[in-house]
Amino acid sequence: MLIQNLITQDWKKGFRAQGFYKNLAVSIMMGLFGLYMAASFLFLGFSLNEILEKADDKLNPTELFNGAMLYIMMIGLALRFFMQQLNTLNLASYQVLPIKRSSLINFLILKPLASPANYFLLLVVVPFAVKSVVGYYSASVALRFVLSFIFLVWFDSLTAAFLKRKFGSGVLSGVIVLVILASVIALEYFKIFSLFHYSGLLYGFIVFKSYGLFVSLLMVAVAYLLNRWFFSVNYYAEKFNRKLERNKTVATDLSFLNRFGIIGELIGMEIKLILRHKRTKSLLYMSCVFLLYGLLFYRGTTYANMPSMLFFVAMFMTGLLMLMFGQWFISWDSSHFDCLMTSNIPVRTYMSANYYLMIAFNVLCFVLTTPYFLFGMKIVYLHVAAFIFNIGVNIFLLMFLTTFNTKRVDLSKPNVMNYQGTTYKSFLIVLPIMFVPMAIVGIMSNFLSLGTALWTLTILGLVGILLRKQLLTLCVNQFNRRKYKLAEGFREAE
Amino acid sequence: MIQVTDLQKAYNGVTVLDIQGLTIAPGESFGLVGNNGAGKTTFFRLILDLIEPTTGEVKIEGQRVMRNDAWKTITGSFLDEGFLIDFLTTEEYFTFVGKLHHKSEGDIALFLEGMKEFFNDEILGTKKLIRDYSKGNQKKIGIAAALIGDPKILILDEPFTALDPSSQIRLKRFLIDLQTRLNMTMLISSHDLNHVTEVCKRTVVLEKGKVVRDLQTNEDTLKELQAYFAV
Repeated sequence: MLIQNLITQDWKKGFRAQGFYKNLAVSIMMGLFGLYMAASFLFLGFSLNEILEKADDKLNPTELFNGAMLYIMMIGLALRFFMQQLNTLNLASYQVLPIKRSSLINFLILKPLASPANYFLLLVVVPFAVKSVVGYYSASVALRFVLSFIFLVWFDSLTAAFLKRKFGSGVLSGVIVLVILASVIALEYFKIFSLFHYSGLLYGFIVFKSYGLFVSLLMVAVAYLLNRWFFSVNYYAEKFNRKLERNKTVATDLSFLNRFGIIGELIGMEIKLILRHKRTKSLLYMSCVFLLYGLLFYRGTTYANMPSMLFFVAMFMTGLLMLMFGQWFISWDSSHFDCLMTSNIPVRTYMSANYYLMIAFNVLCFVLTTPYFLFGMKIVYLHVAAFIFNIGVNIFLLMFLTTFNTKRVDLSKPNVMNYQGTTYKSFLIVLPIMFVPMAIVGIMSNFLSLGTALWTLTILGLVGILLRKQLLTLCVNQFNRRKYKLAEGFREAE
Repeated sequence: MIQVTDLQKAYNGVTVLDIQGLTIAPGESFGLVGNNGAGKTTFFRLILDLIEPTTGEVKIEGQRVMRNDAWKTITGSFLDEGFLIDFLTTEEYFTFVGKLHHKSEGDIALFLEGMKEFFNDEILGTKKLIRDYSKGNQKKIGIAAALIGDPKILILDEPFTALDPSSQIRLKRFLIDLQTRLNMTMLISSHDLNHVTEVCKRTVVLEKGKVVRDLQTNEDTLKELQAYFAV
């Protein structure tokens, strides 16, 4: 009864939030994207048996899957650590009501398990179980297989929440999680310690033995009790609220930027902005993952004959941070936009600061992606052309078009799947930046050669760099035209 | 110092501000009172070029403020939390604003030393982010930041609300000191008629966007204002 009330109130919180209905276009797009993902997952589920049958001649698909289970668990845990939003009931407002505290705590701990996003992977697992596990073993094994997977999801969700509450989601904990993950994968790769082997043993026991599921349940119970323990130690809401974490501000020493005057000050402020907000931090983590994008495309021969695709990947990676952050550089200042507009900052200086910050981003990404040069000279040419095009042309396109994002962006809310402040305009802005150069490469390499295409883009980029003063003036004028619209939009809190 | 001519602001055809002409002389302390929705904040935003006037213009030292950067060097302002950068610590924020006015670290330290009494030991040296301060302390931070660049014009919207009684008295004393010592031009809005008449030499009443009273403060001003707002 009480839990039911809490759940309905939680729903209302979502539906009655201002701005829930405002962003219909984005919601529809996200819905379509979700459907597409669901269809792909189902398709994968039905074809996984065939894929795994070909993958190894000794082990059957179920055994392979069992071996992967602990990896799924770890990767799931890491992903949740970055992406899962902590379930926060405004505890204080309920604490004063005559409600048993343990019910509230249970609600806090268990509610995330009800989120449908948790069970998305069942779209892969259930078809696989029906098609493959039933075929190799029996229906009861298949059932245990699916159940053990659900328990794994619960375990992940509870453990991730516990770790996040206990250790916070700062940059440091994020790095630690990534390091642990990377070292386990490295140990496996160099055949020093095979998690795959032990995972196979453990999940073989869980799935094939009739009482094996108890092990899974026990893990879930331990994770649950850890959460209970956390809340029993930290009785008061202030103990686990974000306040505590916030008060300890790590001093960010960016004094080397002082040499660059006001522009340096502004860049320093933007960097602090990125490091001190959850939403921007999650984007940083995402960017790290996207840097691996090249591994998917540069290896093998599938994309070797699709120059436009390769160029797309090169442009995406060498301009990663700019493409991720550039579109938002004005919107992210929305909460203190009035401050910037009335402070002693000429508009040109403000725009220049953002320009130099994005140049720095591009140089950083270009350097970080140099290991891909090992894939051959072609990649070198692609990256250099993409880099020059990005800092000569795309940078100004972004600075010009971003003035159309007039929605206030609330940075204090996490996380990766946060689309607050995104409108159809944000999608429109990306289109010319991503697809025009892709089309140029596609057409020119088809009729002329890839070299000609890359030279064309490089020259366009160089022209942009040479004309940067004039182009910047263009962006400054555009900003001045849009300034009032921006200020007005940013003042409207959702 | 500030000239306003034919200034109008309309939203969807509804005029929210309509000031025919208004001149604020250098060193004048200008108080703005009026009920909610009278257009006080709109007027300040127009002066600070944060919204575009439908017609008319505002000039500061003879230069139009619209799409201009020049006035920013001599104007300090604090209207609301949007004027703070809330993810910085107070020290970082003061340094940032100070640097924008080409102040050295020493200048900034000296300035903050002078603000000590006003801050009442709650602001400096805490390592807290501005967003974690109470509304009252945020207001103090904002007012201090508006003053860091030695402005000739100071614009404050409701500076007394959310401040505790002692801080209100300190702020009043501080503002009067700035007027007498530095001859600073001030524009201050408030709902508290006492505060306005104590701090400002000139008081203007706005109603539905129009100037309905323009008084040089004397001993009768408070009574006149109270009579005007009485229901």
